Amino acid sequence: MEIADMLSPEGVIPALRVTSKKQALQELARRAAEVVRQPERAIFEVLVERERLGTTGVGNGIAIPHGKLADLDRLHALFARLETPVDFDAIDEQPVDLVCVLLAPEQAGADHLKALARVSRLLRDRSVCEKLRGSDSRDAIYALLTEPANSRAA
Amino acid sequence: MELANQFILLSGALLLVAILAGVLSSRIGAPLLLVFLGLGMAFGEEGPGGIVFHDFNTAYAIGSLALAIILFDGGLRTSFSSLRIAWAPASLLATVGVALTAAMTGTFAWLVLDLSPLAALLVGSIVASTDAAAVFLLLHQRGMDLKRRVGTTLEVESGCNDPMAIFLTITLVELLLHGDGEIGWTVARTLGEQMGYGAVIGLAGGWLLAQVVNRLELAPGLYPVFVVAGALVIFGGTQELGGSGFLAVYLAGIIAGNRRLRANQLVRRFHDGIAWVSQIAMFMMLGLLVTPSSLAPDLVPALLIAGGLMFVARPLAVFLCLWPFRFKPEERLFIAWVGLRGAVPIFLAIIPVLGGIDHGIDLFNVAYIVVLTSLLLQGWTVPWLARRLDIELPPRPEPTGRFDMELMRGFDRELVGYRIAETSPMANHPIEDLRVPDRVRILAVLRDNAVVQRQLMKSLKPDDYLLALAPPEQVLLLDRQLLPSRRRSGRRSEPVLGDFAFPGASPVGALADVYDLPVTRREREMSLSDFLQSRLGKDCSVGDKLSLGAIELVVRSMEDGAVQEVGIWLEPAVPHLLPRGLARRVAGAGRFLRRNKTVRKLADDPPL
Repeated sequence: MEIADMLSPEGVIPALRVTSKKQALQELARRAAEVVRQPERAIFEVLVERERLGTTGVGNGIAIPHGKLADLDRLHALFARLETPVDFDAIDEQPVDLVCVLLAPEQAGADHLKALARVSRLLRDRSVCEKLRGSDSRDAIYALLTEPANSRAA
Repeated sequence: MELANQFILLSGALLLVAILAGVLSSRIGAPLLLVFLGLGMAFGEEGPGGIVFHDFNTAYAIGSLALAIILFDGGLRTSFSSLRIAWAPASLLATVGVALTAAMTGTFAWLVLDLSPLAALLVGSIVASTDAAAVFLLLHQRGMDLKRRVGTTLEVESGCNDPMAIFLTITLVELLLHGDGEIGWTVARTLGEQMGYGAVIGLAGGWLLAQVVNRLELAPGLYPVFVVAGALVIFGGTQELGGSGFLAVYLAGIIAGNRRLRANQLVRRFHDGIAWVSQIAMFMMLGLLVTPSSLAPDLVPALLIAGGLMFVARPLAVFLCLWPFRFKPEERLFIAWVGLRGAVPIFLAIIPVLGGIDHGIDLFNVAYIVVLTSLLLQGWTVPWLARRLDIELPPRPEPTGRFDMELMRGFDRELVGYRIAETSPMANHPIEDLRVPDRVRILAVLRDNAVVQRQLMKSLKPDDYLLALAPPEQVLLLDRQLLPSRRRSGRRSEPVLGDFAFPGASPVGALADVYDLPVTRREREMSLSDFLQSRLGKDCSVGDKLSLGAIELVVRSMEDGAVQEVGIWLEPAVPHLLPRGLARRVAGAGRFLRRNKTVRKLADDPPL
């Protein structure tokens, strides 16, 4: 599961202006609704439900909100760089400024997990995060996220 | 007069060089002990230093002293809670494990050296114990955080196993010197005395020491000195009575360290320093003692013995001893590989030399080479192996840049101070972002030689000092925000425990829905914490993993015997000792061969 299969350039928000975790999720749900053509309300609720279980703020300023939607056609990802970091109840207590939303169809099963693992591994790489924070155009961020893994390792 | 001055100059200079070399070595990742040993050799008769030192008696005395202090310090750092999870495997390793290792290594020695079976067994016993100094140093000062049960098992084993090796060595030396006689009786009595006196005096001595320290009114600086002196009395007294002073002093350290000692911080800090000096002194001295060129004739057989010890004897002994316990294969492998040899074997090898056994000096040389090989090969590769086998835990922030001070007795908060560094997470962030846990009170921020007024303080700047009152259990949260983040060279990402984290109280059912976990209906009703403990056992510890369908759950933190936080690995890592592609390629080759066979078979079979 490559990130390019889930993320389209339209799904990248280079400078999202929000002031809280709730607002960030709301705003991302609104954008996601446009991309996946599903009701905004349902998306927001799925994401909030997942946050209630435990934060998706995984540390180092990264958050990966995710969840399953019944009527989705395939896996969808959205990526946002926040203009100012917000408190996300992250495990390391640090404010979050890079958010990657992942929505999966109800039946995605193993693909959902693989895709999540892929995103999580990518964003655990500090050099990638630094580059993401340093670039402010949609295309540059999209290129960074979808760059194949082996060319990055070189 | 002149001699005294020269001696002082020399020892000061040696210490300075050793400390500076230590700084250098941690930059290149060389095992510190090896550096000290190497420095000793460089200063020795065949190096540029040219110091001639052949006094085995002095070496024995200094070695004992240093070892006693190192063991006591190790005991002080061993908490009861970690003992609870590790005492059983560790004590089995420290007794049966040592005997097995000695027997197997002895067999190797008998095969490659021209020795009587008894003398060969002596060689085995000398190198049988895992070295506490080396293990403590490797596990603590390299900044490695291992899975608690693995790390503690190794620490406790290495702290307690010297008496067994010492007992075996002394018994065998006695037997070699005085022939047979009443062997069985002597052996049983020596073992009983070593362990019995050691345990009793150690436990009682540690308790007494804590009592006395807490009742005595002394100048604050004298408390740590008093504690060290007490430790030395316990060590020396036990040895005089024929018990194992090493066991006694380690146990005394554990007992004293787990009681709330007066001037606790002071004692610990002092001990940190003095344990360092002991490590340096001991290994440098052992480096001085050896004549490197005289090792050459024994090199080949000694290397064979070292190989047998590291690759056969120790692993077998570890696998046998850990049989009854719940360790994963890769954890067993790791424990086997961290069987570092250190000063104790060299120091034990002095006993046959002093006892005047034939070929005593050969035994010494063999032991020396075995230790060098182990330090070189194992010492250098252990951090690498820990990463490969997935034994390492995420680092806690390094406490440099923090100081703490106990206030009065009965007051359960300490005074902590932080020096903000450029790399502290909170540096240059608005002060409002600082998460102040319950019962923590920020007292003041100091900048440029003055106290910053509260209303003028916008953000924390590098080189600020922040003073706070905090209960000890909340200090970690402050550490995370205020201490410089640790930079590790050559690593793109640090080890973490799971892709996502959940509180232990979360319901299993909700998690199962999101991640498709195969759990029973009854398990769906449980909390994550109860669920993990029902599957992993009550005594699970941080880093323990549970495979569940495609994912893996991992214990992130424990509190009061319950799982506090759980991580989830969406794509569990397979511990890989060999290159990742290898297994796949071998399997591919196998498939290819099989397919060819089927094709041929199909060709042979007549069509229906």
